[in-house]
Amino acid sequence: MRMILSIHYIFVLVLLGSFQFSLAQDDGEEEEDYSIYDDFEVVDDSPVKNFAKPTISGMSPQKFLSIAFDAQMPYRYEFSDVRFPQSNPGSGYDVEEENPTINETGRAEFTGGFRFGSNIPIISKSSFVWQSGINYMDTRYNISESLNSPRQPVTLPDGTQARSLSRILNEDGLRNLNWTNTFFFPLNAKDFIVFQGQMDLSGNYDLDAFQPLNTIRYSAAAVYGRRVNDYYRWGIGISRTYRAGNLNYIPVIMYDWTSKSRKWGTEILFPARAYVRYKVNKSALLLAGFDFEGHSYRIEDYSVDGNSFEIRRGEVRPKIEFQTKLVGYFWLSVQAGYRWNWSFDADQLDGNNDFFRGFFGDQQFAMVNNLDNPFFFNVGINFVSP
Amino acid sequence: MMTSALTLLYLLKYLRENNPINSIKMKYTIYTIAFCIVTSIGFAQDADAIVGVWKPSNGKVYVKIDKIDDKYYGKIVWLKEPNDPETGKPKTDKNNPDESMQDVPLRGYRMLKDFEYKGDGVWEEGTIYDPQNGTTYDCVINLKDENTLNIRGYVGLKTFGRTDTWKRLQKKT
Repeated sequence: MRMILSIHYIFVLVLLGSFQFSLAQDDGEEEEDYSIYDDFEVVDDSPVKNFAKPTISGMSPQKFLSIAFDAQMPYRYEFSDVRFPQSNPGSGYDVEEENPTINETGRAEFTGGFRFGSNIPIISKSSFVWQSGINYMDTRYNISESLNSPRQPVTLPDGTQARSLSRILNEDGLRNLNWTNTFFFPLNAKDFIVFQGQMDLSGNYDLDAFQPLNTIRYSAAAVYGRRVNDYYRWGIGISRTYRAGNLNYIPVIMYDWTSKSRKWGTEILFPARAYVRYKVNKSALLLAGFDFEGHSYRIEDYSVDGNSFEIRRGEVRPKIEFQTKLVGYFWLSVQAGYRWNWSFDADQLDGNNDFFRGFFGDQQFAMVNNLDNPFFFNVGINFVSP
Repeated sequence: MMTSALTLLYLLKYLRENNPINSIKMKYTIYTIAFCIVTSIGFAQDADAIVGVWKPSNGKVYVKIDKIDDKYYGKIVWLKEPNDPETGKPKTDKNNPDESMQDVPLRGYRMLKDFEYKGDGVWEEGTIYDPQNGTTYDCVINLKDENTLNIRGYVGLKTFGRTDTWKRLQKKT
């Protein structure tokens, strides 16, 4: 009896094994008649919506993570005297913009530091993309003041003396901590909307002693775009930005194009950046164009009586950038160009509240500063999307 | 399926001939075998739920997913634009970084490779190839419902990726 049971048991196991083996059989590689697929349709009756991709063919790889070192060559600077509201109550700060009284002069032997960037996909579906990133930019200065600089000590409204701006930059530097969120909403296979919001904390703070969080500056941009085909898309929108240093509301133009050969192209998100792209090979490309970057940096020493004294730093950077693959998804980028000072003037903001001067406003500055324009270099390693 | 039917028939015959079952050990053995069969049939059916013809969200291709040696593969079986507008000839994998592959026709090209079923409607360990940029990504496939797949291609970590939704196709009735 036991023998018979064992035979039955083994037979069942053999059948079970052959059954599983049959499931794993190869369907074969025989030639198919592909024309039969012309008559296929979607099973599910619910409408199938196609969505525009968030990029076009041939664009430079998107940077998920990046670390870079930025350095400006030596340049001379002139800082005006510092005016506080009490200097001329009710009518601005009384700094002569065209011919300011120069109080500090010198030479910045070095300006630069490390930059860390991130842009992480939080949700990335064909119908919606949300990317979020923390960015940190450290700008250190090595300044040689002129012998007679500053001509007058910086005196605060209460009569106490403060460090000169040159000394503040030399000892503290400037930092920017930024959180950016980008949302891509494809409306259909061609049209899309991009919304970007960012928060910036900028100033001469230390990482272990942040400045007040009510000095966070908010920027945003909204762009409507059309992805005409795999090689071309355009967009138009509006932004609230600090790229010029102070608060501005300016239009945004997107124009991304790639030639059919994929050798040439443009990557334009004006005014933030605009490049012509040339693909050297599959693992290397050249970009020529400019970046426009800037922030409003709070100077803690001069922020008195509940106000925020802020350097409106904006700079245009015409440049050439070479990107090449190192290994896997790690790419090297090397930039060289010219740092053209757009603004290094200063405003004192009543109660930390910002105001809109625009390009044509006549509000007076608290400082009017001038920087010569040096060459700059930037070397970075990026973890990129393919 | 033939062998599974044979197995079940044999089991039923065995149970009928040996009824009543007196031995607890015998009961345990039969239940174990029955459980193995039922679960293996169920797992195989779940795993094969991915087999069929699918349409990515961009609608530019159809992809047929087959099972080969316990793994799942998907090949392009239809293209919206089968011919290269520049040459007028059938499209080839011209963006492939391997130059020897650039003349391979896109129709018939295996763009999904080596997927293994992990249970719960998830297939992993495979890759997806994007002919538009010649890049191969790590990939995970989720069966959202019997006619919908969520396919996520990613780089290294799943967070660095993008999910596309594919719909099941059938021959027009």
